[in-house]
Amino acid sequence: MSQLLEATFWSATVAGGLRLATPLIYASIGETFAQRAGVLNLGLEGYMIIGALTSLYVADPTAAPLGFLVGGLAGMGLALIMVLLSIRLFANQVVVGFGLTILGIGTTGYIFHVTTDVGGRDRQVSLPSEIDIPLLSDIPWLGDAVFGHSWYTWLSLGLVLVAGFVASRTIFGLEVKAVGEDPDAAAAKGVDVLRIRTQATLISGFLGGLGGAALMLGSVGRFQPYLTANRGFIALIVIIMASWSIWGAAVGAFVFGFFEALGFNLNNVFVDVPIEGLNTIPFFVALVILTVSARWARMPRGLGENYVPTV
Amino acid sequence: MTSEPGADPATGTPLSVRGVSRRFGSVQALANVDFTLEAGEIHALVGENGAGKSTLAKIVAGSIRSDSGSMSLFGQPYRPTSRREGAAAGVAHVRQQLSLVRGLTVAQNLQLGRPGAPAIFNAASARAEVERWSDEFSLSVPAETLVDDMPLAVRQQAEILIAVAWGARLLILDEPSSALGPLETKALIALCHRLRSEGTPILYISHRLPELAELADRLTVLRAGRVVVEGADVRAADLREVATLMIGDVSLLEVNRPEIERGTTRLTVTDLSVSSTQEIGCHGLNFEVAGGEILGVVGIAGNGQDSLAKALTGQAKLASGHVVVDGEDISGSARQAIAAGVAHLHEDRSTGLAAAFTVADNATARHVRSGRFTRFGVRLADKIARHAGELVERFQVRPPDPAARASSLSGGNQQKLMAARELEKNPTVLVAHGPTKGLDPEAAKAMRDRCFAAAQAGGAVVVISADLDEVSDLAHRVVVLYRGRVTDAFPIEDMTSERLGAAMAGLTETMEAASG
Repeated sequence: MSQLLEATFWSATVAGGLRLATPLIYASIGETFAQRAGVLNLGLEGYMIIGALTSLYVADPTAAPLGFLVGGLAGMGLALIMVLLSIRLFANQVVVGFGLTILGIGTTGYIFHVTTDVGGRDRQVSLPSEIDIPLLSDIPWLGDAVFGHSWYTWLSLGLVLVAGFVASRTIFGLEVKAVGEDPDAAAAKGVDVLRIRTQATLISGFLGGLGGAALMLGSVGRFQPYLTANRGFIALIVIIMASWSIWGAAVGAFVFGFFEALGFNLNNVFVDVPIEGLNTIPFFVALVILTVSARWARMPRGLGENYVPTV
Repeated sequence: MTSEPGADPATGTPLSVRGVSRRFGSVQALANVDFTLEAGEIHALVGENGAGKSTLAKIVAGSIRSDSGSMSLFGQPYRPTSRREGAAAGVAHVRQQLSLVRGLTVAQNLQLGRPGAPAIFNAASARAEVERWSDEFSLSVPAETLVDDMPLAVRQQAEILIAVAWGARLLILDEPSSALGPLETKALIALCHRLRSEGTPILYISHRLPELAELADRLTVLRAGRVVVEGADVRAADLREVATLMIGDVSLLEVNRPEIERGTTRLTVTDLSVSSTQEIGCHGLNFEVAGGEILGVVGIAGNGQDSLAKALTGQAKLASGHVVVDGEDISGSARQAIAAGVAHLHEDRSTGLAAAFTVADNATARHVRSGRFTRFGVRLADKIARHAGELVERFQVRPPDPAARASSLSGGNQQKLMAARELEKNPTVLVAHGPTKGLDPEAAKAMRDRCFAAAQAGGAVVVISADLDEVSDLAHRVVVLYRGRVTDAFPIEDMTSERLGAAMAGLTETMEAASG
């Protein structure tokens, strides 16, 4: 019990939280773009798990950064189906999105099953070394919390800065918001609604794939069926909690990671409480945050509705 | 395709349209239209709904293409293939449905879709530009307020401002005053005159004649896709004659208000308040309506009308007060309201009807709980169809097919279907919210007659409307809503546009007048 009063317990929890949050940050930032553009992109779980498997199978014989990149492209490939069916052919977004999630989970499980039996060798990668930012890790308490993160984590934090800038300070960011809020008016101003929605969905696929790859290469190292374990859906919750803001999505992802890490660390303190019980903590926190944030959350008005251009 | 930038704008006529036709399916929207917009003029294009005004505007703006004919812009051949191309050539189209993106600010809207805007959005310079233009035209358009949070009149000013900032050389305003109050219309007219004096010719589309005398230089009348008057001098024109030319059928214009005998009070509203998160709600309303009387509730849309309509029909929870029909308190209970004989013509037909259901289901929806059309909880389809058939016949819904889906009917027939459901029996109270909104003259006349008939049968009628013509056609007495409060109340004979304008803009403090 006295462990709870020690600073090291909390700094370790913060550090663990950031580690666990890393895949969520990639996925939720990408999904925020898609949803701001009005595309309810429920295939996210599928993009992540395809990214995870692909990154392993590329990184194993080559190098981790290449696997990471190709993992992102694999997620983008799956998102292309979303673009074709929902954005271009106006199929229901929810149906296609769920379909892609199921397709992703099923396909990766199947490929893994087939290739491990045939290859006879368990594909795996060694986990990345930790990178310390010199001045940052010297700060007394904070130093421990930001200590020992891989480049996947640092890159995800850089991504937050870039994505925040793109969303709020560029014409592309305005166009994304415009086609999600008021596609008719945006089209009337000469914005190509389908093109912007396509781009936002592909960004979401790419970052979803990167999220899966970061999970695989950054913290697991080997594949197992349904490796992503609902992280794509958690990212969807994070976006609602964040009220479709980029910064909010990053913070929300961290909050999730933090309480997940807290569950793990509390397991060492309260050994009698089953780990399954402690693992539910982040979901209870999410329920509370969702209930409270529902008061001010404003979802993009055109979210989930296909836009059919008038000739 | 568009005019060359090197051309001298002063040399050519701003816009010349020759022999333009356009067909949509079986409807000839425009037939061989000739039209000229001269330099330095405000040219009004008038006509009834469906006369082809908006089609012509869209062709000029580049949103749609003509089937035949030609145009020139400032002396250059002009064949835009998209709105963007039209905008690049200097044509700005401010539409009926405003085309500002609602989730963005005015400054963001200024840069969105702007030809040649840099890829990085510079918030400070966009704001400065909005403020500069706003000052230039003596407007007060906020640069960094979300479009959602601005009143309609300001949105419209913002849109005109953006058009000018984008370098519009020719402005098309499509029904700009249809949602504005008298004072806001005055401000719009002043802005148009200002733009004209700066050298921007304006094509002004409207079906409201009275304001044109003050606003426009010349007018062109369209009827059923054809030009019936081209470029007449507004000052010399007889507007009454123009109205006749627009409609083509005089009897529809004249409203014969029948003599109706006044009965005793049937609807009493005391201290009525509704709080709403969606709209302005209403606060401390008091009024009575007698049998045979038609009360008009006017005000600019969004000043509490929706809350009032819901309260009168039992669909809103009241923060305070009572709605009493024939001595029975129906406050907050839609079921009691229906039982007390309250009928409701919903403003929005898509909400007032179950669009995916059949005509028969909609026509008999008020009986859904009465047990009249069910046996042991099973619906009696034959009985429903037969009864619906009679109603459809009586209310002249076309096509008279009880099995058709409500969504397949035209707007006018949907309105008749809603009337068939609500007015099957003579109502004690009829709440008619914009009953003739968006209807063609024939359907509008049918709806007016329904309102008169309800009053003649002894019902108390409340007509809620933002359309002053509709109210002056129907009502005996008027109350004005502003921000959920009654700012003025008077008999229809005392209605003047000054008095109404002041009350609709909240410039009177005669709250007591309402309670009398």
